Amino acid sequence: MQVKLLAFAQARDQLGWSERVVECEPTETPRGILARIAPAAPVEMWRVAVDEEYHSWDDAIGSAREIALIPPVSGG
Amino acid sequence: MEKQITFTTAPIDIPPAVLPSREIGACVEFQGIVRELERGQALAGLQYEAHESMARRHLERIFDELCAAHPCAAVVFIHRLGWVPVGEASLFVRVLSAHRGEGLRFLADAIDRMKADVPIWKCAR
Repeated sequence: MQVKLLAFAQARDQLGWSERVVECEPTETPRGILARIAPAAPVEMWRVAVDEEYHSWDDAIGSAREIALIPPVSGG
Repeated sequence: MEKQITFTTAPIDIPPAVLPSREIGACVEFQGIVRELERGQALAGLQYEAHESMARRHLERIFDELCAAHPCAAVVFIHRLGWVPVGEASLFVRVLSAHRGEGLRFLADAIDRMKADVPIWKCAR
């Protein structure tokens, strides 16, 4: 299945892209997917959201359509 | 609770307060203004971005949770995105409640929760 990956703020700056589509399996985890496409990504600095809900790096993505990489937020 | 959540790239135009009932006794407002000095560095402004649909979803949930703890009648939340020059507001929040205590606590907790969990980012330029 195809999953849209979104990178915001520092995550986008570090990865060099803001959006890409990746072929994934439902049993894959966000950590595994990112290790495959961006092995140097500092995932311990970021949170991850699956379909707009915060998600563990180590839980399977299931039927996700979107994975968002969420560096520390700073609204206001 | 009435909730209005707006993201805008234009300067924040503060809407007139509309009281949903005659039981409103408190109107609590907050504006966050971009300051010139950020960690000792002089700035011309800040660049804001958001995962807008996710931010909206989480703000709605936060407001519902806070309303259970501090009953309020309405919240207006406006956050700017894009470039915000020093001296202009990046955030406006208005809370309407029957009594000041609930409104003040709702406002303070809403901003704390936003700063912890809502996917909005500022970048110094």
